[in-house]
Order: sequence, then structure tokens, then C-alpha cells
Amino acid sequence: MNIRLDNLTVNFDDRFQLDEINWQLDDTQHWVITGTNGAGKSALAAILAGAGDIVSGSMSGIPAKVGLVSFEAQAELIERERKKDDADIMDVIAEGTPVHEILHEGDRNPALIQQLVTMFKLESLLERAFRKLSTGESRKVMLIRALASEPDLLILDEPFDGLDAHTLEMLQQYLLGLVETVPMILVLNRFDEFPDFITHIAYVDQGRLQHQIDRHDSQAYNELYHLLHLKTTELQVPPTDSDTALPPLDPTQPLVRLNKINVTYDGHRIIDSLDWTIEPNQHWQLSGPNGSGKTCLLSLITGDHPQCYVNDIFVFGFQRGNGESIWQIKQFIGYVSTALQWEYKVGTGLRNVIISGFYDSIGLYTKATDRQKQIADEWLALLGMSDRADTPFNKLSYGDQRLLLIARAMVKHPPLLILDEPCLGLDDMNRQLVLALIEKICAGSETSVLYVNHHAEDKIKGIDNYLALEKREPDSSK
Amino acid sequence: MSNNYFNTLPLREQLEQLGKCRFMSMDEFSDGVDALKGKKMVVIGCGAQGLNQGLNLRDSGLDVSYALREAAIAEKRQSWKNATENGFVVGTYQELIPTADVVLNLTPDKQHTPVVNAIMPLMKEGACLSYSHGFNIVEEGMKVREDLTVIMVAPKCPGSEVRAEYVRGFGVPTLIAVHEDNDPKGEGLALAKAYAVGTGGHKAGVLMSSFIAEVKSDLMGEQTILCGMLQTGSLLCFDKMVEEGIDPGYASKLIQYGWETITEALKYGGVTNMLDRLSNPAKIKAFDLAEEMKQIMRPLYNKHQDDIIDGTFSRTMMEDWANDDKNLLGWRAETAETAFEKTPAGDVEISEQEYFDNGILMVAMVKAGVELAFETMTAAGIIPDSAYYESLHETPLIANTIARKKLYEMNATISDTAEYGCYLYNHACLPLLADFMKDIKTDVIGKGLELDDTGVDNARLIEVNAALRSHPVEAIGSVLRGHMADMKKIV
Ligand SMILES: NC(=O)c1ccc[n+]([C@@H]2O[C@H](COP(=O)([O-])OP(=O)(O)OC[C@H]3O[C@@H](n4cnc5c(N)ncnc54)[C@H](OP(=O)(O)O)[C@@H]3O)[C@@H](O)[C@H]2O)c1
Repeated sequence: MNIRLDNLTVNFDDRFQLDEINWQLDDTQHWVITGTNGAGKSALAAILAGAGDIVSGSMSGIPAKVGLVSFEAQAELIERERKKDDADIMDVIAEGTPVHEILHEGDRNPALIQQLVTMFKLESLLERAFRKLSTGESRKVMLIRALASEPDLLILDEPFDGLDAHTLEMLQQYLLGLVETVPMILVLNRFDEFPDFITHIAYVDQGRLQHQIDRHDSQAYNELYHLLHLKTTELQVPPTDSDTALPPLDPTQPLVRLNKINVTYDGHRIIDSLDWTIEPNQHWQLSGPNGSGKTCLLSLITGDHPQCYVNDIFVFGFQRGNGESIWQIKQFIGYVSTALQWEYKVGTGLRNVIISGFYDSIGLYTKATDRQKQIADEWLALLGMSDRADTPFNKLSYGDQRLLLIARAMVKHPPLLILDEPCLGLDDMNRQLVLALIEKICAGSETSVLYVNHHAEDKIKGIDNYLALEKREPDSSK
Repeated sequence: MSNNYFNTLPLREQLEQLGKCRFMSMDEFSDGVDALKGKKMVVIGCGAQGLNQGLNLRDSGLDVSYALREAAIAEKRQSWKNATENGFVVGTYQELIPTADVVLNLTPDKQHTPVVNAIMPLMKEGACLSYSHGFNIVEEGMKVREDLTVIMVAPKCPGSEVRAEYVRGFGVPTLIAVHEDNDPKGEGLALAKAYAVGTGGHKAGVLMSSFIAEVKSDLMGEQTILCGMLQTGSLLCFDKMVEEGIDPGYASKLIQYGWETITEALKYGGVTNMLDRLSNPAKIKAFDLAEEMKQIMRPLYNKHQDDIIDGTFSRTMMEDWANDDKNLLGWRAETAETAFEKTPAGDVEISEQEYFDNGILMVAMVKAGVELAFETMTAAGIIPDSAYYESLHETPLIANTIARKKLYEMNATISDTAEYGCYLYNHACLPLLADFMKDIKTDVIGKGLELDDTGVDNARLIEVNAALRSHPVEAIGSVLRGHMADMKKIV
């Protein structure tokens, strides 16, 4: 067996479409297809069993006998049975097709059926009408049908859902017995259900096959785990600490007001007479090429730029340069950037890194309260890193560090969260992870997000104000 | 013309001033920067300390501007650029000093007498003059106008660290003092505390000390263990390795980065931890070497401390100032010509542990130097807290400068005063250790012990471990590092 999908686009009754799938599988492999609900993972499994209409591209190498168990297939069979009843014009009360007939339909091994019926403890139900079975019972019937067809490729879409513990274990044992002879594709959305024999994982999102990873690439595996965790859990931004609550801001005043800002460096004008106002609860995207002054503009807001003292800057109730300290400004801002990640070269444990967000410090220099520890733990749980609370920060992968720094920035529920190119240097999977987290934050908190990136087109759901800076030519800028 | 202030004091007073030092508790800083709020702070000089302290003070909400000498403004020198590019107001003495409530003298120590003489007549009645080092007051006997308050706020780190730690939300250990002859309104301490808060120093620990204790301990530390021992050690170890046939590139690298690596262990867990990084036989070896060197070098440490206390050191150095720095410049040129300095670090991989294993003698030199400096300072009446900061605490910071660009970088970064003292030490110490070095082989510098059997005698190991752990620098070190560790989790 050597299945190839090349640039395959498949349409499902115009309800759904899988786009440009490129995928190769051979018979030494066992795959899991995973993704969030509605991502298209069941659809991807189903096309191998002949579902959908191919719009473009090609698919080859599908073996003759494909066994498929899925909710869709189950529903179809139940629907067929119901229609049979409706169509029944005989004057007797329709009983429906009994289970044993359903099992023996088509080309199946009777001895194997017998054996599986015993294993699944279905003996007492053989005479019952299929459509009268409970969901769990009919699912077992579907499994037996698929297994007894002795397929060349076995596709099981969420096979473990709704099975009792005994059956679950039995099925897992049985699958283990097939590992050497039958290539399998399992559709699963819980990582803890992935059987050990799985060799590869396909991640589907929005109708596209986004990632294919080798099970033994532990870093990629870990990242995928986080991505799925973030995408599938109902995200609640953890509460903040009422003891270290921020002073209240006047809701009628803007968070930031920059008035005719000028920044000059070595005689070059980096920013020329710029006005910008950020109102409470507005989300902004700031874009522009390298050298357009994005980071400079941000550092004027955060107070890190020395020329903030010679410009007309109003931030969080302070007109800059009137005796306020930068810590009074920074307390209202959560900040994440690549530069911060470089600076944050510490061996502090993850929990303390998050807590340092309460103090706007790099490293933790104050004893944390129990409440702060508890909040940090909630963030770790949200990121799926609970088991690593005391792991040194610098032992984390690059992408995980970025996620953690976002949690650090958010821990105090700042009125303004600044994300300066938060995806810079991240691979595709980590990019999606970070963006998923930002979307949750935009949707689920009082924080205004200021998202900065190169490309104006890289948009985030929930952000609807845009400021684009242009690169300044050195000559015209004097 | 100059008149050593310390020497004018009666013995009782001298001892009292030398012994002045107290680790302040965090709640003594609860007033924050209030004492300086609304006051006009004018910094003179915008170099390493001037710029970075000014940035911190401004970011803490204080009003900071810079008075530079006219030539610096006219020629747009680096100091002028530092201040203007960072958005500070810059002016001449005439423009700014008369408006100042606090004048921060952050020019090089050598210039203090002319600078202070120039600004004093311009200063407002009742204003405050501050220093970051007490040399001018103590060694040169500068007499400041009676109505002026004189304080010291001395960060125990290079200027770049002062800024970097502040930006992180922390600070650097800082020593503060009030010059008792100049505290007419009794506000010196409040101003010094607020200043320390403004630079972030209070978060890392503040020692309340005296001008005298600061100067006498600072000079002692920098010329012996901090710069002198590292310079002498570098030259001796390099020449020995080359003589024994070790590749010069390797030798150069082992030393250039070795000091930094082994003193990193010192920073976290004192001399004990540094030696604990060695195997048992190597530890005993390092211990014995250090004991031997301590015996040889003790008279030299005593001499340095005596010359510092009685003013001989500053007098001879000031004679050299008056002689156009003939000695200093000569010694500087001589250092640049040494074999170690001229041999670039080889392109070889040396693992962190290898720096310890193959640098047993270097570990022994650091141990001997730290302990001797500490013992000598405390014997002279300097309080252990202060002696700790001026010896063990600063050693890794100086070692970092050698890692950057060898002795050149170290001597460029430290003050002229430290550099002068460093050469003095080096010239005396090289011949002193000549005999000792004759017996040294590559097992303790360059190659490591290479033993088949790493067993040791239990009784001897217990003895060595106990001696290491019971040294007084370890006791005060664990207390002071504890203060930091509560707060400072950074690695
Ligand atoms: N370096 C350290 O690690 C350290 C640590 C603690 C305390 N301190 C103390 O801090 C003070 C300053 O040291 P530093 O290392 O910051 O010195 P620095 O980097 O050499 O800077 C000195 C500044 O003073 C200016 N200056 C030089 N001669 C002058 C003169 N005659 N009149 C007016 N301005 C003059 C220089 O600018 P122009 O030449 O452009 O005028 C320069 O900006 C010293 O008292 C030192 O002991 C230093």
C-alpha cells in the first residue's frame, strides 16, 4: 500500500471543503489525524473511504478493502435502516434488520464475527433490531463490521468515544494485535488516547492538513500537544490578584495619547510628528517594515526610550516628565517581544517567571504570595505546563518560552498588552499556538491588545484598529 | 596642597570610622525617593557612572540634568552625546550649578579637586554635594563649604550593571555614607537613602558606612584580590603553561575565560562552592597551594593595607599624577607587551568543568587572594560586610572584564586609582611568587591531575572541608548572599 494525495481538494455537498491536501502514507505507518472540532479531521479520514467529491488534484493507492468506523458511517447506517422502515408498505409492524444480519452483510469472515461478538459481549443482542440499539451498542456493531471485513486499511474515527472501560481496553488490545498486518488511521482529539503504536500524526485545521509530524520527534509532538490543548480547552483567562490590584484608571481618558511625536537619532529622524491615541478596550495592530520605527514607538509608550522625556506623551493618567517613575507606567502594561525573551536569560522556574509579571521584573526579587502562586499555577494549567512549574525557564523550547512570557505579561490583567512581533522566530506550529492564545485574550478579557508585526495582512480575529508605519528614507528624514 | 583627612583624626575616631558599616533593612527605605522629589539634581560628568545613575534617577521620577565642562560641550564629546541623545538638559557649570539642590560629582577621582573647587562657589546655600567614591574627601582632604551637605552613594558595580539591573527591576549593592563634618541640616542620611532608592540599589542591599571605611576598603580590594591578583595570576599561569609545552592558544583561552568561569561558582556559593567544583584530590591540592601562597603573600597584603591606611599609597599615586602619570603610563605599556596579552585565545573547545579541572592553581589563587584581602581588611578594623563586598563580591565582576578583552579591558574599565594600585601589587607579587612557581607543573595548571585513582584520605578531606567552610568570609558571605537570594533568583 502506498497512498498518495496530491494537491487534493475535496468538496462535501458544499458544506465543507478540504483544500490542497498533500499526504503520503505507507503500510509501515499508523497515523492519528487530530485537530479541533470542525477542523476537517473526520473528512480527511472519510475521503480515504471514498467520501466527498474531488474538485481537483489526485488521490491514488487506496487499497481495495477499507474498513471505516465513524459517527457519520454509523449515522448513515441508522438512517438507512429508518428509511427502510418508512418505506415498508407491508401491513405488519416493522421490526427492522436484526443485528446478526447487519453484521453478516457483505463480504465478512463469519468465524471472526463470532469471535468478536463474544469479545464485545453482543450475544444477547443479535436478534435485536439494529436501529433499536443504544449508541454505544451500535458503535460496537460498527466496529465488528469493520474488523471482520479484514481490511487492508482500517480507519477508526473516534473509536474510543462512549465505550465502557472494559470494552475500551479490549479494543485497544485487539488493535495491538493488528499492528504488524494492518495499517491504521485513527481520528482522535485527545492526546492521552493516542495508542503507543502510532507512528505519525496529522494535524488538520480549517480544512487543511497543517502539520505532519513523526511521533518520535518529541519537540514537535510536545508543541502539537500544546496547540491542541489551547485550541480545544474552553479558555478562561485566570483572575488576577486583588492584593496587587492596579490603581483605577479614569475610563473617560485614553490609555495612551501621543501628540506630534518626534524621535531623532544621530541626526536621523525616526519618527516624524506622529499622533496616536489608544482608547480603553480598543485592540490595535501596528505594522510596518523593519526600520519604520515600530519598536521605537512602543518604547516611548513603555517608558524605555530616553526621548520619552522630550515628547508630549500621556500614558495611563500621567503626562510624562512630571515626576512619575517608569514603574508607575509599566504597572499598566504587559509586554512581550523577542528582545525581552533574549534578556530573560534566567534559570528561574516557570511559576516564578509568571509571578515576575506582577512586579514587571526580569527574574523574581520579591517573595511571592500564596495567591500569586495559585494564579501562576492556573496560567500553567491553561498552557498545559502544569507538570513543569519548577523547570528552569531557560530549559524551555523557544516557542514555549514565548507562550510563558505572554502569560507573564497577562498575569496582572494590564489595561494594555503589547505584543511586539510575538511570532517572530517561531515555526508555523508555535505561531499558531501564540495566535490562538492572543485570540483568546482579545476575546476574553478587559485588556486592550496592541499587536505589532511586519505584515499588515497577518491579522488576528478581534483586532479592528490599524496603524501602519512606513519606512523612512534616510535622506528625506533629516 | 592636599591634606589627608584620615590622618588628621585621632586614633579613636579613625577606628570608629573604619568600623562603620551596617546592612540596612528594607523598611528603612519606605519613604522611597521622597526626600529628593521636586529637587533639582545636576550631574557633573556623563561617563560610566554619570550617565547610568542619571538614567535610573530620572526613571525613578527625579529631575536630572548634566553640567559638563565647556570643552566637552563645545567639542560635542562622548559625554555630551551621552546626555543629549538621552534627552537630558545639558549646560555649563554657570548655567546649571546655581540652580541645583543636589550636585552629583561623577567625574574621575583624579579630577575631583579642580572640579569641586570650580563648582563650590557656584553652589546654592545649603545644597548637597554627592560622590560615588570618597577618595577626594578622605585622601585629599577636600574641605567643603560648611553650609553644604556632603554624602556618598557608591554602587558596588560598573555603571553598565547599575543600569542593566535597574531595567530588570532590581539594582546593585550600594554603599552610602554621610560626611559628618558636612551635615549642617542633618538631612544627609535621608538624601543618601532616597538617592539609593532612585538608582534601585535598595532592592539589592545597602550598607550604611563612612567615607573612610569606603575608601580604605575599596582601595584595598581593588589593588589586591580584584585586579592585582588576577593580573599577576594571569601572567604567571600563562608563562608557566607555555614553558611546560602547552599550546599557547589553549593557555591563553584557559586563563582569559577561566577567571570568569571559576568565579561564577564563587558568586553563587562562595569559596566553598568554588572548591567543591573540583574532584576531591584536586580540592585538597588547591587548598594546599592556597595555604602556601597565603603564607608567602600575607606580608604583601599587610603592606598594601598599611600604605592605604596611613596614606602612603595615595601620596605616592598623587605624586605620579603630578608627574604626568609617568609610572601609570609606563606600566600600562608594559602590560600590553606581556606574552599573555599578546597571545590570542586559541580556537579550542573548553568545557565549563575543564576550566576547574585544568585550572587548579587559578582556583587556589582566587581563594588565597579573597581570604587574604578579607582577613587583612577585617584586621584593620573594617567590618566583615564591607570587606566581603570589596573582595569576594566584586571578583566575578572584574573577571568578566578579563573575559571580554584580557587585561587591557580590565585596566580600561577600572578607575585610574585601581589601575595604579593593580600595577603596584603586580610588581611586588611577581617576584614574591617566583620560587613557589618553580615547583608548579601542568597537573595544577593546564592539564589537570590525570589520576587513575581519585581516592583521598577521609580524615584529610574532612579537615579541608571544615577549614573551607569555617573561614569568616564564608560566614558573612552566606548571610549577605542570603539577603540577595531571598529576592534575587536570577541566574
Ligand atoms: N567605574 C566604576 O566601576 C565605579 C564604581 C563606583 C563608583 N565609581 C566612581 O564614580 C565616579 C565616576 O567614575 P566613572 O567610572 O563613571 O568615570 P568615567 O567613566 O571616566 O566618566 C567621567 C566623566 O567625567 C568627565 N570629566 C573628566 N574629566 C573632567 C573634568 N576635569 N571636569 C569635568 N568633567 C570631567 C568626562 O567627560 P568629558 O571628558 O567629556 O568632559 C566623563 O563623562 C568616580 O568617583 C568613581 O570612583 C566608579
